[in-house]
Amino acid sequence: MFERRPKKINYQTVLRDVARSMVRLKRPERLLKLITRYIDRELGLSHTSLVVLEETRDRFIFVDSKGSRRVPIGLIKFEMNHPLVLWFRAEKGKELKCEDFLQRSLLAKGLANGRLKMLVPERRQLYEKVKKAMDDLKIELAIPGYFKRTLIGLLLLGEKKDRKPFTKSEISFFQTLTQDCSMAVKTAEYHRSLIDKNVELERQLKEIHNLRKKEQETYYEIMRSLAQEVHAKDPLTYGHINDVEYLGLKTAEELGLDLTGRKRDILSAGLILHDVGKIGIPDQVLKKPTGLSGEEREIMKTHVDKGVKILEPLTNFKEVIEIVRTHHENFDGSGYPLGLKGDAIPIEARIVSVVDAFHAIVTSRCYRSNRSVELAFDELKKCSGTQFDPQVVDALIRMVHKEKVRRGSGFFNLFTPS
Amino acid sequence: MKKLLVVDDEVEICEFLKAFFEERDYEVLTARSGPEALEAVDNFQPHVILLDIFMPGGLDGLAVLKRIKDRYPNIKVIMVTALETREKIEEAMRFGADNYITKPLSLEYLEKDVQEKIEVLSGNR
Ligand SMILES: [Fe+2]
Repeated sequence: MFERRPKKINYQTVLRDVARSMVRLKRPERLLKLITRYIDRELGLSHTSLVVLEETRDRFIFVDSKGSRRVPIGLIKFEMNHPLVLWFRAEKGKELKCEDFLQRSLLAKGLANGRLKMLVPERRQLYEKVKKAMDDLKIELAIPGYFKRTLIGLLLLGEKKDRKPFTKSEISFFQTLTQDCSMAVKTAEYHRSLIDKNVELERQLKEIHNLRKKEQETYYEIMRSLAQEVHAKDPLTYGHINDVEYLGLKTAEELGLDLTGRKRDILSAGLILHDVGKIGIPDQVLKKPTGLSGEEREIMKTHVDKGVKILEPLTNFKEVIEIVRTHHENFDGSGYPLGLKGDAIPIEARIVSVVDAFHAIVTSRCYRSNRSVELAFDELKKCSGTQFDPQVVDALIRMVHKEKVRRGSGFFNLFTPS
Repeated sequence: MKKLLVVDDEVEICEFLKAFFEERDYEVLTARSGPEALEAVDNFQPHVILLDIFMPGGLDGLAVLKRIKDRYPNIKVIMVTALETREKIEEAMRFGADNYITKPLSLEYLEKDVQEKIEVLSGNR
């Protein structure tokens, strides 16, 4: 009753298992080894081998082989003119009706019974060569794997233990398996190449980004020292450019401006770099303490455009360039170069304008005294609403008062030239 | 009988080639190292030797080739190796190798080449 039967393949189960593995496995080599091991274990053929196209070298090599008559890995290759490769690459042999596989027993029968005698000699020769190639490697069944009509691999199977021929259902099982394998291998290869490309692209972008960032940082540093140089050369401005930055940021805080993220850096850079274009103004104009002629005043005005040009390479700081461009605009529209009015002028530029004037007055030799801060306030108030944004003027005055209370007289030392 | 000696440190390769050539009516002996190969040459007197270059144990294929050719210049030696550098090939040729085949190899070519060596030998006799 419990008679032992030869193990039968439950094709559907196997296929499902294999399909599942294909999804799970990202490395096609492992999948192929899994397949050969599976067939070897379940069927115990004299050998189960897989050859795969090495695209870069135009040859097929053994990637795996199991069984007693297995082929050592790395020993044998199939050139593109190998009979089996020729057979499956060329027009498939209609005569034997083995379009998608080659079975040695069928081939031998065909050659023996003379049915192939009517073939043209080259065709018959190919049959003979194929038969010999299969004999050489003890191949009973050869199944091709195609991807987009290109032969990419072969499943080569030796004899069954009982030497019985493969059944139709077995052959169609192997065909499905080989086709799925080819697909999985190609898909995995494609994904891998895609991932590789992506990784490479990302690496390059990051490198460019880092380079640009470093470049920009360096550039910013150069600009900063340039600005300080300009600041020091200008007879109307003394003290340190960093004081202007400090006053500006404090005023912005007083105004309740959003200074999160890059916004703080942008304002900071605007405060420091607004006059960097003065580097292009001749010394005799720049250093003249008072009484510029009309022509000289026009030359002076060009520091805005010059600043914009100098800063143009700072692509990450487009907003900074806008601040530089508009820091001589007046609140009532009477400024230069565009004659912008009110809110049309960036708030950062309005701050720069007020803070720069304040800093110039309190540090100027002409006004240098204990009363210089009060004098500066008067001056700002006088121009509030015309040259300056009244809100910014108020904020600066409030802020300075608060700082005075917090720090005492020490605060004013900030503005005295060293 | 045609006598062939296969020298390779990999047992799988030795066994495969032994089975392949035995089916083609060769008497085949295998050796897994340089010293083993030299001993086999003395005792077995093969017509053709398939000789791997890379073998562990100090005596590599080129050294073995040189000794064999010094003593038995008539034995045909075909180098079969995964190594394919110009220097190795030139060295092997200088030591008198009769051919140089790189792995992976074409089985058809190998069979033909061994057969040709045998034919040359019988023609000389
Ligand atoms: Fe300016």
